Amino acid sequence: MTGRVRVALVPGVLALLPEYASLRDPIAELRAAIDTATSWLGGDVEIIATEQGRRVAECALAARTGAAAAADVERSILVVLNGSACRTEKAPGFFDERAEVFDASLRAALATPAPEALRQVDVTLANELWADVAALPQLADLLTGARTVSVDHDAAPYGVQYWVMRWEL
Amino acid sequence: MTLRLRKHSFDDDATLMMAIVNRTPDSFFDKGATWAEDAAFERVRLVAEQGAEIVDIGGIKAAPGTEIGVAEEKARVVDFVARVRAEFPELVISVDTWRAEVGAAVCEAGADVLNDAWGGADPELVDVAAQYDAGIVCTHTGGVTPRTRPYRIEYDDVMRAVLDDTLGYAQRALDAGVARESIVIDPAHDFGKNTFHSLEVTRRIDEMVATGWPVLVSLSNKDFVGETLDRPVGERLLGTLAATSVCALAGARIYRVHQVEETRQTVDMVWTIAGRRRPTSVIRGIQ
Repeated sequence: MTGRVRVALVPGVLALLPEYASLRDPIAELRAAIDTATSWLGGDVEIIATEQGRRVAECALAARTGAAAAADVERSILVVLNGSACRTEKAPGFFDERAEVFDASLRAALATPAPEALRQVDVTLANELWADVAALPQLADLLTGARTVSVDHDAAPYGVQYWVMRWEL
Repeated sequence: MTLRLRKHSFDDDATLMMAIVNRTPDSFFDKGATWAEDAAFERVRLVAEQGAEIVDIGGIKAAPGTEIGVAEEKARVVDFVARVRAEFPELVISVDTWRAEVGAAVCEAGADVLNDAWGGADPELVDVAAQYDAGIVCTHTGGVTPRTRPYRIEYDDVMRAVLDDTLGYAQRALDAGVARESIVIDPAHDFGKNTFHSLEVTRRIDEMVATGWPVLVSLSNKDFVGETLDRPVGERLLGTLAATSVCALAGARIYRVHQVEETRQTVDMVWTIAGRRRPTSVIRGIQ
């Protein structure tokens, strides 16, 4: 492989799908960040996601406002993954005091990036905290040798930890 | 059908709140609360803030009472319309009048709609609407004289009568030159109708919607609500909103109301259930 590889991460938020659109977008900032990241990926994009996450990814790619990658980008990958869904009492999985620590650890491993730390994420705990980490093993492999381009979004507005991040190698 | 009320246009799926503003000392609901011009103007300001798209300004109460001549009706509404026009350029101004002479004066002052609650009693009103490119509301009253109460009126089929009269009126408006997109039909609950008639018209309002003309309903706190629930004026909001829901589910577009916010919420809820409007902001379960 001679060209660069671009990887972007988005959360599998169903509210991104057009069938769940509201008059007032409750995730406008997230949507804008996803647009920035997916537009940066450029043309043909591979998706790494669960079946449901793939629908979100395909929708995000279809909705992006730009798709102009640099000429030397050989491969673009969109990964769907998010942190816990137990950050508050109103969170889907109710409040779990372990959630914030879990998300902080995962955030650090992603933002560095630290592929080995990503491989060591406690999947049992992730499932108990309703995190979507199915794509982690493949993401860890992808990020070996990568540098972080940007953390475009980092928030848990509805009790679910969202990240939009970009890496390149 | 796309709706245009003079310079104001609305999408096919838009619902509109028409807030009642009485320049009368004796209307049944507000009992003269906005008789003073400044009080009426404050009412306009309030309903505009509450999101009403239309104000319906009336200078004569519908019920029988002291004769109000053309000059007095004009004195009550014309300058007031001009003042509202100047202050609220985006607000649709409707005037509740059956008189062509009054209609011309208020259109000159900036009114956008002539709301003829008395079913074409003055045949020249459509000519005025055409002349000013204004909207017109074509109501059914069963042919009664303006400001009279229904008395032992019966219909073989009340909705058939409503359709025949309102569609006939709409055609007269078209023939007179009123723009097709500026004609609205209204069954006129309680006008020329007893409570059983108004209930049936409500139940069958989908037949009016099916004609393709935008349908206006004027249900607010009326006697058919009061008699149905045995509630006096002032205690009819819940019944009004229930009737509003039925009309909204069928697809009525314009709601002539005293209570703007309550009716707006009701119509938005039903319109959304019907799949014609997106919910305002949904995140629960899909975050």
